[in-house]
Amino acid sequence: MNIERFLAEREHVWAELDALLARADQVKLSRPETQQLVELYRRTCTDLNRARSYTANPEVLGRLNQLTGRAYRFIYRASHDTPVWASFVKLITREIPAAFRRERLAVLAAAGAFLAGALFGSLAILVDPANGERLIPADFFSESPRERVDKIERGEERIDDVEKAMVFGASLYTHNIKVSFLAFSLGAATILLGLLILFYNGVILGAVGTMYVLDDVSVFFFAWVGPHGALELPAIIFGGAAGLVVGRALLLPGDLTRGASLRRVLPSVWRMMIAAALTLVLAGLIEGSFSQFSAKTIPYPLKISVAALLFTGLMSFLFLRRTEEP
Amino acid sequence: MRDVTITTPEHVPIRLEPAGAGSRFLAILIDALITTAMAIAAGVVLSILLPSGIAAALTITINFIITWGWHVYFETKHQGRTPGKRALKLRVIDARGLPVSLHQSLARNIVRVLDMAPAFYGIAAIATLVTSTRRRLGDVIADTLVIRDSQALAYKGQLAAERRHNSLRTPRVLRLIRHKISLEEREFLLTLCLRADRMSPASRYDLMQDVSAAYREKLGIEEDSLSGENFVRDLTAVLFNPRA
Repeated sequence: MNIERFLAEREHVWAELDALLARADQVKLSRPETQQLVELYRRTCTDLNRARSYTANPEVLGRLNQLTGRAYRFIYRASHDTPVWASFVKLITREIPAAFRRERLAVLAAAGAFLAGALFGSLAILVDPANGERLIPADFFSESPRERVDKIERGEERIDDVEKAMVFGASLYTHNIKVSFLAFSLGAATILLGLLILFYNGVILGAVGTMYVLDDVSVFFFAWVGPHGALELPAIIFGGAAGLVVGRALLLPGDLTRGASLRRVLPSVWRMMIAAALTLVLAGLIEGSFSQFSAKTIPYPLKISVAALLFTGLMSFLFLRRTEEP
Repeated sequence: MRDVTITTPEHVPIRLEPAGAGSRFLAILIDALITTAMAIAAGVVLSILLPSGIAAALTITINFIITWGWHVYFETKHQGRTPGKRALKLRVIDARGLPVSLHQSLARNIVRVLDMAPAFYGIAAIATLVTSTRRRLGDVIADTLVIRDSQALAYKGQLAAERRHNSLRTPRVLRLIRHKISLEEREFLLTLCLRADRMSPASRYDLMQDVSAAYREKLGIEEDSLSGENFVRDLTAVLFNPRA
């Protein structure tokens, strides 16, 4: 066959398809244009088949492969034409709770790892308070719990205006979202490391909490950590749980291929991650303001009851409400 | 590394070429420069307009949204191409050849936090080297691919450069060609002609001179009146169309 003539004859079809695809990237195509695109796509497919039997030339085949690939993605893509706001409301009120109920075993496993860690940390301190220095990063260790509480309760409020609260809150939730992303990624890639990082976070919390209890300042601890911790800790556990779901699909796909197995769980997973991120934004704002007030401004029982309310509210919203599967 | 072949419902196999770690790193570098510049600009504007504390809080939030939302937005709304990927002619797609979905884009970008570790996308670099289709962890978890979007054909109509007379179209040359030029060489010469328009004039001239000298010697043709490029083009035209 004459490759020169083949190229000369067919190039205008390819150029036309190329132009139409470039247009489709910018605007929504009209019906006749779409029909024409489909026709050009078929002709280019045929050309690709013919070209393949005549030549192995990377230029010609590369061009045709790229063109048919782009047209294929355009023609066989799923349409996303639902209004944004309605789908957002549906996401929050129905799809997210449904995803959590569907994946409750993973949430339980993640929570179990975290609680086991907390128990471990707590026991380690009870056995020998000196273990604290081995378990907890050194920058938490500038002073004893008692001294810290005294300092905070006698001194000025650390957060005395809205601006400081917002700055502090924003830096907290961006950091925490990254931590939950990390828990997710480790769980997704290895399962075990995901459980381990949750366990480790549990150890630190358990150890620090027990040190406060031993120093007889437990009310302060719960009032200080509770209001944001009630949201933040579940959110990080959710991130880890979503990672476990992916890790299971990836490492133990069963009868499915890994790709198919992943595609099946991804909708639940990203809903769990969005829930975790939104919860962390809220928790960060609380941590930057409300949590930082000492007894002079807000009585501790009030702070602890807000914490309890937030926690039960979040849990019942995600796990107790009766919703149909989306 | 191997190409990924997908078969369309029309039973046409399409081959896609996974992009390498180098071009992907350059693309992420461009994206990172743009997002950082945007975040700094937003910070400066906000600090002029608003009280410093609120400005700082908004800047942190905006910075976070830009750096994490950038990729998701462009991958889903611009056919898998962030500005950095567009500049390097790369594209993110579903591993089945379809466009990347919102779920997949979110998943692969969340795992970015792990791919970035320990520094300069170290884990991602190792992952792209060991996986057969050059995927980073995020691609494995979201089942996506980054492919090279090959550029348009630089072909302008005529291999023989619009010359009326091809002095190489003689029975003697045809016989020499049949005996001395392999299939691979044939494809090489065609590729050279098709790519010529994209080369810089100096390297194009040098390359054509070298190639024509090599084939003049190989075929024993003492045709000195032709320039290097015209010799290569005439030879290729004869190779692909012996009977015109």
